[in-house]
This record gives sequence, structure tokens and C-alpha cells, in this order.
Amino acid sequence: MNSFVIANPHRCIGCKTCEAACAIEHSEENILTQRNDKVKFNPCLKVIKTAEVSAPIQCRHCENAPCANACPNGSIINREGIVLINKDTCIGCKSCVIACPFGAIDLIVEHKDADKVMQKSLKCDREGKLEYKERLVANKCDLCIGRGNGPACVEVCPTEALRLVKAEHVDEVVLEKRRNAAANIANML
Amino acid sequence: MSLGLVNIDKDLCTGCRQCEEVCPVNAIKGEVGNPQSIDYDICVSCGQCIQVCNAYAVENKENKDMITNKRLERGLLKSVKEPIFAAFNKGNAVKVKEALNNKELFTIVQCAPAVRVSLGEEFGLEVGSLTPGKMSAALRILGFNRIYDTNFGADLTILEEGSELIKRVTEGGKLPMFTSCCPAWVKFVEQEYPELLSHLSSCKSPQQMAGTIFKTYGAKIDEVNPVKIYNVAIMPCTCKQFECDREEMQDSGFKDVDIVITTREFAQLIRDKEIDFENLEDEEFDLPLGSYTGAGNIFGVTGGVMEAALRSGYEMITKQSIPTLELNFIRGGEGIRVAEVELPDMILKVAVISGLKNVVEVLENIKRGDCDFDFVEVMTCPEGCVSGGGQPKFILAEDRKSAFMSRKKGIYKHDSELKIRKSHENPFIKKLYKEFLIEPLGEKSHHLLHTKFVSRKKEEM
Amino acid sequence: MELKSNSFVVGDSSKCVGCKACEIACFKAHNKLVTVGNITTPIISRIHVIKGNNFTVPVQCRHCEDAPCAKACSINAIKNEDNSIIIDEKLCIGCKACVVVCPFGAIEIGTKCKDGKKVMQKVQKEFAEEGLEQKEEKVAYKCDLCKEQDEPACIKACPKNALRLFDVIEEKRMRNIKAVNNLKL
Repeated sequence: MNSFVIANPHRCIGCKTCEAACAIEHSEENILTQRNDKVKFNPCLKVIKTAEVSAPIQCRHCENAPCANACPNGSIINREGIVLINKDTCIGCKSCVIACPFGAIDLIVEHKDADKVMQKSLKCDREGKLEYKERLVANKCDLCIGRGNGPACVEVCPTEALRLVKAEHVDEVVLEKRRNAAANIANML
Repeated sequence: MSLGLVNIDKDLCTGCRQCEEVCPVNAIKGEVGNPQSIDYDICVSCGQCIQVCNAYAVENKENKDMITNKRLERGLLKSVKEPIFAAFNKGNAVKVKEALNNKELFTIVQCAPAVRVSLGEEFGLEVGSLTPGKMSAALRILGFNRIYDTNFGADLTILEEGSELIKRVTEGGKLPMFTSCCPAWVKFVEQEYPELLSHLSSCKSPQQMAGTIFKTYGAKIDEVNPVKIYNVAIMPCTCKQFECDREEMQDSGFKDVDIVITTREFAQLIRDKEIDFENLEDEEFDLPLGSYTGAGNIFGVTGGVMEAALRSGYEMITKQSIPTLELNFIRGGEGIRVAEVELPDMILKVAVISGLKNVVEVLENIKRGDCDFDFVEVMTCPEGCVSGGGQPKFILAEDRKSAFMSRKKGIYKHDSELKIRKSHENPFIKKLYKEFLIEPLGEKSHHLLHTKFVSRKKEEM
Repeated sequence: MELKSNSFVVGDSSKCVGCKACEIACFKAHNKLVTVGNITTPIISRIHVIKGNNFTVPVQCRHCEDAPCAKACSINAIKNEDNSIIIDEKLCIGCKACVVVCPFGAIEIGTKCKDGKKVMQKVQKEFAEEGLEQKEEKVAYKCDLCKEQDEPACIKACPKNALRLFDVIEEKRMRNIKAVNNLKL
């Protein structure tokens, strides 16, 4: 089973530290020392505030990921319990964006060595001028795959509102709940 | 890890003791809620516990290796995907697969009557489907050199046992005579009532008679060196392996039956070879030792041995054909059924017992000198071999009863559709006696087809 | 006017012996197989026998009136139908929200099976030992009161009659009558 990060809305104070940590983690360059116009800020999770609640929303790494099954060229795969977008083969068709019931996917400009990656032939009409278009790819939470301490957002949240839920945890919690339910029944009847 | 024929895996056992409720000899020990264990001094390896056990192993990524190990330890083929339960029998399918791949061996196979009405169930066919043709076809594809049949052995058993009964009745021999084809029943007598062993028919079971003939007469007519013959028996029974392992079962000069696998293991071998069982074209058994009559086939149900014996016995005594072939008065279910058969000079009192628990009453009566039966058939399993411990296992307990009925129906249907329905009319049995055995209870028969039993009673300290 | 509430199956720990006949029956009710030899997928059950210190009893979905699982489901695949809470297995994407939120642990993610075979996903692949492989389709399983059959299979299969269908209104009626009878003394 896949892992995922989930937020506890009762603890979230909407500070967006998680967004910052995520963006820093996923930037090749050091955001804190880059020139302003060069910074790309693309967090994979977004803090949403309504009248009643605030909490970050991010990918749930679904088992039958609708995004993966919608992708026309198989660019979204399951690896080590994580649903991953292959940015090299993504064509920016937005099928995954449409499919995701959580709205967890964005389109971002692909960067390499701090520069935007431009497309080789597609041009865009911008204010009367035809310019090469940037390469846009789908982006979503990747559970900070390869990061030693796991997801950055979980680590930095000042109120511990974010939790990494792994398959074993789920199994343990479910078993515990069943045991309690059974004990309750045994006491009742 | 050394396995018994029937085992309870302590890692999987829930301690519910549902197995204990069906054990005919109370061999399963343990407290409710704790893993149970089998007392092998009492157990008769009937396998009824295996049929009722619901304690399945949950399989997931975490325990995948542990479960794979268990499967290997149990002797299951690697391709077997079905779930494993706490109660299980030691598997021999791997050894049979190896034997089939060994070009040096001349493999002969025999199937019990009950197999041909239940094998199809493991491939989604209706419960009790009669599929002897597909069964032969599958055996041929698996690569057996000769596809003979236990039912031939059953016909042979009737000739010998019928003659033995007549001899005992007319010459004042030990009565009642009990059938001895059910190995769990025989083990039970040896363990608990060794003083009554002389009541058992000295005949071997059809499986063992067939195996012995395969390696002697069979070797001759097939012009094969019996050293190279590997006899496989496919049985609905988990105790038949115990029977073929008995020390004395070497009258052919070799181990008469080399190995036994259950109906379930047979289905697993078929799956392993990716044979499309459902769509197999019917094929025939090999002759002469694969030929059988309806009487041989009904051995698979309770009352079948009795009915087959009467069909031939009646004629042996009266020299006249039995008026009705289908002896409905002897057919039935679990329990004790009693009947009287009218013959010219006497009335034969017979009884059919199925469900081993039910035999104790009769044995105690015999000890008290209070039993007037002449001939008694005993089957350990509730409806006879069709309900054996090695048969396809039903997921739901409530499916069992109707399934046994369907399988029984299949057995009787096969009998009614065969041209020859009396064992002594089997032309190849006649040929066997003419060319080889000479006569029932003769010297050759005595040496090859009859056996001795041994007391296994644990002496009280 | 009385509102009809959802029924659910409940176990009696004083009768249960932990044999798992209910689990096996549950599996069978949702697959068309008859013998063990025909099973090629892991047994998935929607009822779970739990062993405590000195009791065993099965637990399963309570068909809550204000089902937390239904609230949590990201695609509204969980509905109240015919007095039971049903997960539409065709819609389920395996996001696990319902699994996490159920207070009884009644929901489990398992591989979707059809006609005794595992169902594979149309596109999504996963990394395994030998490279990219088709991924099995997963679905959230929970008790559906055997809506495709006439009565819950677990109740029928229990050899100790330890399971029963708890009808809130009927149960209340019986207990009220018992209480009133006790007053008579």
C-alpha cells in the first residue's frame, strides 16, 4: 500500500511553513540566495483556508490513482509506495489535473540549472511576438522521495499538524480499533 | 520438520476445536482458544479435520516469505495458489511430479472410484460431475505410462472377499466378517480392538490388490521390468498413504503401491501442467487392468462394497443371477444400516456402518458374544469414500451434505450406465484368474492378495 | 413517525469460538467459488475475528447513521442504500480516507477480484523486482450486509449461532417489553 501525508485541521494554524519547506526542497537552486526574478516557488501542497477550517491539501497517493490511469502515455507510476510523475515524458495534457478529485496537481514550468526549459519547436504568441514556449509539466507531492528524513513538510510544521501515514501504521491502527471494538462487544453482551 | 500424514499447524490454529467435533476417535487435544495437537497414537489419519478446518492463513506482503515456506514444507507444488489452513495433510504431489519427469521409471496410475465424481469440482464443474473420460485424458497428458484403475482392484476384491465370506459361512469361520478396504478402520481395530482382528477379511484393499497385480501380472503383460515400475494411487483418502507404507505391503517383491496422492493434489498437478480440464476430450483407461464393472465403481459410497459383494456373492452361492441389481435396501447415509438377504439355505444378516464412531457399539456387542451379523461393511468417512479427507474441500460447511449426495448420485449413475455391473463378469478379471491367479483364495491369491494385521494397542503402564 | 435506521451484524463473544467460518463465508458470498481448490486469490473477508485476552468475537461495519467513511470519501463513492452503507466498488480509487477515518477499523484495502481473478489497472504500473509491472486494482472492502444475497452469509455460516442481525427498532421493542415484564413483579 502507498504512504501519504495527511493534515490535522485542528492543529493547522495556516502559517504555510509547509509550503515554504516543500518549495525549498524541490528547488535545485538555493531559493534563499537566488535573485528574486530567478526564484521558482512551486510547493506541492497548498494551504487552503475556508471560513471554518484551514489545512494543506496534497496528493493522497491513491492505490488506483485516477491521475495515473488518466495519463495517456503512462507517465505516472507507482514506486516504493509513492505515486510519481515522470516529468521527462509528461506532455502537459492536464488529464491528471482533471482526474484528481483532490485538486492536488499543478502545472509548473520545468527548470534545469536554474533556467527555464524551453520547448524546441512550439512557439507562443505573447504580446504580438512569437516566442518559444516554456516546458510545462504536471507537479504534485512525491513524498520527498530520496530525502533522508522523509517529507519536509512533516518535519517543519510547528504544530505537528502533518503526519506521514505508512501502510504499516494504517494496519496497526486498524487492528487496534478492531481490538477495541471487540473488547467493547465482549463487555456489553 | 517431520510431518505426520495429518497435521495441525500451531501457527494458524485458532483453537476453535471444530476439528475435534468431527474426529471419530477424539485424537485432537488442547484447550479451547489454544493451538490444538493430534495424538498420533489415536489418530487414524481419516482427514475429516482437514475438511472442516476454517483457520486459513491471511496472506500479505509482510508474511509472504513465511507462507511460501509453509507451502514448501507441506509438500505443495510451487504453482499452488489456494489458501492454506491449520489442518493439512503431508503432500506428495512434488514427488509424483518428479517421478513423471524421470524417464527411467515406468509409471502406472490408478484412481479410486470417488475421484471421478469429484475431480471436476476443482475446475468449476458442477458438484458430483462424473468425468472418468476427462480424468483419463488428464492422466495421459501428465505422462503416466499406464492408466489402470482401482475399480479393477475392487472387482478383484469382490472375487476374493466373496469367496472368503462363503468359506467362513459354510465352514464355521470367524463371523461377523468385516471389510478391510478402509485403512483408517483397519488402523482403528489394530489400535483399540486387536483381539477382534481375526474378524477382518484377510483381503487387501482394492488399491493394494491392484498395485500388487500391476507389478506382477502387469509387468509380465507389458513386458516391463517390475524394478522400474512406479505405482501411483490417486485417492479421496488421507490414510491410503499409511496403507501403502505398511511393512507387509511388498508381496509383489517390491513396494506394491509406491505413493499415494489425494484428489486435491491430482487437481493441483493438472493445474501445474496448465491442462484445460474443462475442455478435455474423453479418453479410455488402458486395458486390461483399467477395466471395471459397475460393482467395482460403487465401492466409493457407503454400502457399495456390500452391494457389490452381494451381486456376485448371491450368484456364487445360488448359481443364479440376483433378481434385482440395484440393492436399494443397502443404500443410505451415515450410521448403521441392517438388512437380511434371503438365500436358498440361509438368511445372510448384513450390516453397513459409516462414520467410524458408529462401529464401537457393534464391536462391543461382539465382545459380549451378542452379535449375529454375518458380514459387515465399515467405512470411516460419513458417506463413504466420496466424503473422504482428501476430497475437494468445500468453502462453506453447509455445501457439504448436498455435495456428498451429488457425488453419490454420480457413483450410482456411472454404475447404471456401465454394461457390466457384476465383478465376476469382468472379462479381464476372468482372464487374470485363468492366466495367473488360477482361483480365488488359491495359493497365488493367498500370497499376493491377502494380508495380515498387527496389534497397535498401547499397553497400559 | 419512526425513521428507519440501518441494521448491522453483531457477534456474541460468549458463543464465538474463533473458528473463522464467518470470514470464509463472507469471502465465498462475494466470489462464486465452491471448493478451496478453485481459489487463486488471497482470501479477503469483510468480517474480522478478533482474539482478546479471554474472548474472541468478530467485528465488522456498523453501518453508522452518520457514516464517517461516507463523509471522508473524496469521490462520494459511499452511500446509504436500502438501510445499509455501501461502498461503490466501481468508483473507489483507493485513497484510503475511509480506512483511516473508520473508528471500528471495519474497512480494509484489498485487491479487486472478478470471477476469481485479480483485476489489473488499465494504465498505472508499479515498480517491482523485475521492473515496471501492471498494478493490481485496489478497492476499499467493508461489510455490505450481503446485499446481493438474501441474508448475511456470516450469520448463516456460524456453527455456534454467535452472529445476529441487529435491527435497532426490533431490538428496542424486545428490550422494552422485557423491561416492562420485569416491572410486573
